[in-house]
Amino acid sequence: MNEITYDVVVIGGGPAGMAAALKAADAGASTAIVERNAQLGGILRQCIHPGFGLTYFKEELTGPEYAQRFIDRVEDSPIKVYLGSMVLSIHHDDESGTSDVVFMSETGMVTLTAHAVVLAMGCRERTRSEIKIPGSRPAGVFTAGLAQRYINIENLKPGSRFVILGSGDIGLIMARRLALEGFEVEGVYELMPYANGLHRNVKNCLEDFGIPLHLSTTVTRVIGKNRVEAVEVSQVDEQLHPIEGTQHTIPCDALLLSVGLIPENEVSAAAGVKLNPRTRGAVVDESLETTVPGIFSCGNVLHVHDLADNVTREAERAGAAAAAYAAGTLAATSESVPINAGGIASYVVPARLTRGEAAKLFFRVRRPVTRAHVRITVDGATALEGKPRSFIPSIMESFPLPAKLAAAAKESIEISVIEEDDDHE
Amino acid sequence: MIACDIAIIGGGIIGCAIARELSRYSPQTLVVEAANDIACGTTKANGGLIHSGYDPAPGTMKSKVNARGNKLYSAWSKELGFEFKRTGSMVLAFTQSDCAHLQTLLENGRANGVDGLEIIGPERIHELEPQASPDAIQALYCPHTGIVDPFDVAISAAENAAANGVEFLLNAPARSIEQQNDTFILHTPKGDISAKWLINAAGCYADVISDMAGGEHFEIGWRQGNLLVLDKNVTAKSIMPIYPVPTPTTKGVVVMGTVHGNILIGSTAIMREKGDLSCYAADIEELMAGATKLVPSLDVRSSIRQFAGGRAVITDTNDFFIGQSKLQHRLFQAAGIQSPGIASAPAIAEYMVECLRNAGVPLPQNPNFNPIRHAPEDFDIASIEHQDELIQGDPAWGRIVCRCETVPEAEIVAAIHRTPGATSVEGVKRRCRAGMGRCQSGFCQSRVVDILSRELGIAPARVLLENPGSEIVLGPVKGDD
Repeated sequence: MNEITYDVVVIGGGPAGMAAALKAADAGASTAIVERNAQLGGILRQCIHPGFGLTYFKEELTGPEYAQRFIDRVEDSPIKVYLGSMVLSIHHDDESGTSDVVFMSETGMVTLTAHAVVLAMGCRERTRSEIKIPGSRPAGVFTAGLAQRYINIENLKPGSRFVILGSGDIGLIMARRLALEGFEVEGVYELMPYANGLHRNVKNCLEDFGIPLHLSTTVTRVIGKNRVEAVEVSQVDEQLHPIEGTQHTIPCDALLLSVGLIPENEVSAAAGVKLNPRTRGAVVDESLETTVPGIFSCGNVLHVHDLADNVTREAERAGAAAAAYAAGTLAATSESVPINAGGIASYVVPARLTRGEAAKLFFRVRRPVTRAHVRITVDGATALEGKPRSFIPSIMESFPLPAKLAAAAKESIEISVIEEDDDHE
Repeated sequence: MIACDIAIIGGGIIGCAIARELSRYSPQTLVVEAANDIACGTTKANGGLIHSGYDPAPGTMKSKVNARGNKLYSAWSKELGFEFKRTGSMVLAFTQSDCAHLQTLLENGRANGVDGLEIIGPERIHELEPQASPDAIQALYCPHTGIVDPFDVAISAAENAAANGVEFLLNAPARSIEQQNDTFILHTPKGDISAKWLINAAGCYADVISDMAGGEHFEIGWRQGNLLVLDKNVTAKSIMPIYPVPTPTTKGVVVMGTVHGNILIGSTAIMREKGDLSCYAADIEELMAGATKLVPSLDVRSSIRQFAGGRAVITDTNDFFIGQSKLQHRLFQAAGIQSPGIASAPAIAEYMVECLRNAGVPLPQNPNFNPIRHAPEDFDIASIEHQDELIQGDPAWGRIVCRCETVPEAEIVAAIHRTPGATSVEGVKRRCRAGMGRCQSGFCQSRVVDILSRELGIAPARVLLENPGSEIVLGPVKGDD
């Protein structure tokens, strides 16, 4: 078994991992990426649609093109890349302050000793079982990402007549992808009374292709012995419960699910990293450091992002912080101040300040609102309010926490999105 | 025409266990299974509890084989290399009338030869299982209850039987059975089979087979149950099986740890149309409510899988029917094997061999019989040194396929090439757990399809999820196969 030491070990070679590693290496840290696939790029490899890079590169790229820009940079850098390498565990040693990262690969079991670790493992898709769709369990039920892999990577056709449950971005993009290949897309069904994906995707992927979006409707039964033969859909009430009598059977041979993403944090949790039950990502501070010293987290393993560009930016901060930690130049931590989400904000990242430094607070709202504003409360007193505007859940929002407020906070900070009454307009 | 001495109809846990016991002797035995794999009917869809035998009414066939089966599990797991944990169990009582039930169970147990049963109070309950409900006022503690992966038991028994000379024929539902002189002729889509003796272990379809073979007429009902599996939790300990007080038709919603560290909740019990493998919203609600009553701290939302199975219930008697047919002396019945069928399986096999011997079926010893079947390598639970050794021997041990359960490519290839081996995605899952984890094969399914396609030499569009007709992909998006 090999044992090698690096300043920074990045777990995951997708957009987050590559950006973090590049920043760490730029800062002079000896850096390694451990990637389970045979290539870098992560999920971007199968995202052959455009829409990437608009903010980061100021031009529109496909997923593989966006990934390639970073792959080229990694190849030109001194970063050591371990491909086909699956991390099985991380052990942080309090005494030495380093972490051992153990992975399996074709060459054997390898242990890397890291002065700092960046978690960048991304997320997985929620399954049929997690949302407990009743009915039989035939072939033909796929998560949208798996169907995307079959079509875009494997050149295999997962069905011919599709029903899509969930209007997340992957579901919307897959609806268009299927239509482009000449498959039938019967419709997209969404439990909530609004679309969960970005507006641009509802327009470009559904409206332009004449694919109907059925809101407040869900799949209540899968039908078929060996292969999906049909699904039953039902309208739901305000409590999201199916309304008896609204059932409608739709013949199809495949059901795609785009019903949410879950940060893949099993290895992190086993390493002692505290998770936020709301995001299912790590609890991090303003440097993106988790509750385990020297272990940082970024990208979709921290919280599910809307755009790859935002993943890249966040990961760059994590990579820089990890390099500084390894070099001993990251500010020492002091008393931790929790940051809570309030009003209709469902979560906030970071969830605590440990260095009293300025931070950008990222959050999402629980439901769409036409007029609301952000309020920052420090130690129970309102410290800052944003301008009223509209908010939607599909967009990852951010709001700056100025240095002065961060330094002043003693007990707690809260970021709330306060809905304004119509009569205030 | 395929000729054999003894044909066992049904490759579930009962058919496989009988096949394994029969492989101690020389008659040529053939297991004839309707489905595409062994262990994929009721055997794959139950909790895997090795009940101790206090529940069946004394004098029933269930009472005869349950306690004995439970005892045999220690030796079976050692010989056959499957995981078996003797966890003990508790039946929780919340009311005075529940407590009276515990007393009845205790007396049943004693009559059935189950020793070590104890009625215990709240303090002992929490000592044994801290996660049990604090509202329980009494419990029946049984030290003998255990847990297994039921399909793992059947697969291990089948592999040992095969190694000792038993043949398996899959995708061969008996369409009709003819009797010529002293021989049965089974007509199946895989060809005709001649057998001198017939063992009916056809699960929920044992009534149909009995009628075809000229045996007793009985009706088998489908007492369907939904079950729910929770994610492995890195912090929570496994839970000792906890039962509520039973009703005449079911042991109720049980909470238990599994041998692989998940928590399982099962199962509901509702008579439904034969073959119905659907999950129902009302059943899932019942499971979650029942489980929370027994273990209030359980996070029932962390469910990664729901599934359903049907118990083969002889509706008249609600008992097992095991033995020589009185109408057709060359037919032997192992019918109505509902709960506690998994627990009883080794004893049913033993008893069946005795019935054959008593009926004069010649059973000379198999001189080459080897009772040992080694468990296949399991990368996930191997030491890091052994993991490294495996990879050094074959790099395919270092190529991850299922990341939730840490299953490398070599383990999947091995599962395909065992006898009887996996020929479907679900068959792979039952043999090495690829796809059994929290992502439910979202990550590994396409890779498993690829490996099956390569190893079986078939196009991806012919790779099945389970049975014929369950193709996963329909063909290439562009170009030819």
